[in-house]
Amino acid sequence: MNIVNRFFLNMVMLPTSIYERMGVDTTQLKSILKIKLAMDDRRPSSFQQNRAQKNKKPIKLATLGTMVLTLLMGSFFLFSFFVGNDDVTKGTIYFSMYIFMLAATLISDFTSVLIDVRDNMIILPKPVSDRTFLLSRLLHIVVHISKLILPMTLPAMILIGINRGIGGVSSFAFLVFLATLFTIFLINALYIFILRVTTPERFKTIISYFQIFIAIMFYASYQLVPRLINKAVIENFRVGQSTWIWLTPPYWFANAWNLLNNADFSMGAIISMVLSIAIPIASIWVVIKYFAPNFNRKLSMISGSEGGAAPLPKNGKIIRSTTSIYLSLVSKWFSRKGAERMAFLLTYKITSRSREFKMKVYPSMGYLVVYLVMIFFTNKKISVSDLSYGNTSSKILFISLIYFSSFILIMASGQIQYSDKFKAAWIYFTTPIKEPGMLISGAIRAMIVKFYLPLISTITILSIVFMGPAIIPNLVLGCANQLFITAMVGYISIRELPFSHAQDQVKINFIRGLFTFLIPVSVAGLHYLVYSFMPVVIILSVLVIIAYWMVMDSIRKKSWVNIITTYED
Amino acid sequence: MEPIIQLKNLVKHYGEKQVLKGIDLDIYPGQVIGYIGPNGAGKSTTVKILCGLISDYEGTVIVEGIDLKTDPLAVKRKVGYVPELAELYDVLTPAEFLGFMAELYGMPKEVADERMQKMLAAFGLDTNLHQRMDTFSKGMRQKVLIISGLLHNPDIIILDEPLSGLDANSVIIVKDLISKLAKDGKTIFYCSHMMDVVEKVSDRIVLINDGSVIADGSFEELQNQQGNQSLEKIFAHMTAKGSLNDAADQLMRAFEN
Repeated sequence: MNIVNRFFLNMVMLPTSIYERMGVDTTQLKSILKIKLAMDDRRPSSFQQNRAQKNKKPIKLATLGTMVLTLLMGSFFLFSFFVGNDDVTKGTIYFSMYIFMLAATLISDFTSVLIDVRDNMIILPKPVSDRTFLLSRLLHIVVHISKLILPMTLPAMILIGINRGIGGVSSFAFLVFLATLFTIFLINALYIFILRVTTPERFKTIISYFQIFIAIMFYASYQLVPRLINKAVIENFRVGQSTWIWLTPPYWFANAWNLLNNADFSMGAIISMVLSIAIPIASIWVVIKYFAPNFNRKLSMISGSEGGAAPLPKNGKIIRSTTSIYLSLVSKWFSRKGAERMAFLLTYKITSRSREFKMKVYPSMGYLVVYLVMIFFTNKKISVSDLSYGNTSSKILFISLIYFSSFILIMASGQIQYSDKFKAAWIYFTTPIKEPGMLISGAIRAMIVKFYLPLISTITILSIVFMGPAIIPNLVLGCANQLFITAMVGYISIRELPFSHAQDQVKINFIRGLFTFLIPVSVAGLHYLVYSFMPVVIILSVLVIIAYWMVMDSIRKKSWVNIITTYED
Repeated sequence: MEPIIQLKNLVKHYGEKQVLKGIDLDIYPGQVIGYIGPNGAGKSTTVKILCGLISDYEGTVIVEGIDLKTDPLAVKRKVGYVPELAELYDVLTPAEFLGFMAELYGMPKEVADERMQKMLAAFGLDTNLHQRMDTFSKGMRQKVLIISGLLHNPDIIILDEPLSGLDANSVIIVKDLISKLAKDGKTIFYCSHMMDVVEKVSDRIVLINDGSVIADGSFEELQNQQGNQSLEKIFAHMTAKGSLNDAADQLMRAFEN
């Protein structure tokens, strides 16, 4: 147990005599908390969830690592104190970032850390009273949240302490406390809402979509906000000019802070003060009174320990095959019968259903989209009227759009070898498959159809609409290059069967990653150079298409010798 | 003799569905109860009620004269529970996990430490005392779970499929342990699907199906009622809806196309 955990444990155990008067067994309480904190220390934090599964080094001191990262994030928030020239503006921005980040972190922690469903099986059969158990859970949440908010707000506390002295800090701390209560309510309400509208089985999927969304939003705001607002605007920025701002809780907290700090007793400030205190307290009361009783039971259902098998369809109806018409058509068009089609369908379906795959691939796709949008926004020279075929800006836009999409494809196909359920790969080894290359080529084809076909159809339609049919040869060359690059990268880097390995941190080395990203960039450069020479474009297109077929064919022909065939157990 | 566990008209609903339809059982000290039934019969529900995991049941459960509803803690102190799935905090070491269990039962640390070391050594895990359990095999985890249920020397031991993942030698140890515990006056509630083991270890077999007890007695008594056959056959005869032979025939006929 490290010093941080010991400190927090001693802090929450201070009112021992009060706990005892409440009828709580403090020895049990302390041992539950001690064990919970020790486990927190060994669990990868929400910042390191993508850590390698097979990493042999046991996780130690996760708490300290998380706190340092949180401290860094808290320093980012200081940016808000350089925006605008009044405290309300600064405070509004600070509290918005604070609430957003705290909510984003807590969303994942609530299921994975704070409500551990194993508790039911392990602690409930022991002679621990409900009160003791409940208090231990509550104090664990308090400690967990303190470990987040203390480092997160520390930089701001120091800054305010230097500028405003002890009074500023204490009023600020008070409002941070209220904002934290409010955020906890927000998360609870969100959970309850999701549990209302959906089944516990789908709950985790929805939560992970939320996490993906938040990660992308987070990235987008750090990329876009500083670029969209220029410096002069930042310094004169003022919130509170429109009435809609009253709908945002951070504004109340900021206003209330302003009241305490600058003795602003205007009507608005007083209303804000009342709201800041009343809303968190009322919402916590609502959570305890109405949500909590059902909450734990419903959450424990998420783990699936309660529900057995899925209910059978009524009156013995046979469930229709889950292969949709679209999927069966594209699988026929794009893959050969036999092992290749089986791998195609398997990959297509698993990547649609596996939460793990989505969590790895979708955020990075989101980042790419954000990045693309950012190029659009910041480059004000591009307008729709310029998009006719032949001028330079449309040329750049076309090339970057078409080659940008190859990153998505490369990224997605780079993940097909990995899975949590890698042990299920025994199916490849126990069945009489002559050419395992068929499995890889089927998987790559599935990725192309799934991630590239919709994208390239959109690009094709858009570019023909905006640039006219003259773009078609370049479009063909672009697409052919994409497919060729994907096939090449696949040929070189995918040497394992689909979903047959645990994600290994060592394998994602930076140099190789950079290299795979440099290929599309340099090909894009070459394409840019030949863009206007139509005969060259046409000849190259034909050559690249032939090359693509050849590479795909040699992937198909990969024999057991060329594939890393260790079955990992 | 006073029964150590009494179940009186035990009923449990999950929503609309009635899982237990009034179970009545008197269990006496030193008995090894083999509690068997097909999937979904209500076996684990009974077990979960007995060890305090489910509290919203109807009917009465009395353990050593104490009503489970009025004083659950007193009952829980007397019961040791070995859950079916390897539910344990696997980032901890056996020493930490078992130490934690001992603290929850309020055992003195020295007693607990000495006892857990002896028990781990008996299972051949003495060198793994300070190793995190996430590296353990299924059998090793199961051994730690068995120890965690026995550590506080309970009068009643509830074992839910305790042999899963154990190798043949450890199975012998556990079977031997069960009979020695019973001789020592402990009451053992043994849930399993493995009929041959139940047949051997238990001196009273309770068969439930669809939420009700359909047979109760020693293996010999069951044989007298149902014909001189193995427990497996008796079980199939009493719980299977159609004939199991037909199912195998149907499977074989599937090759005919």
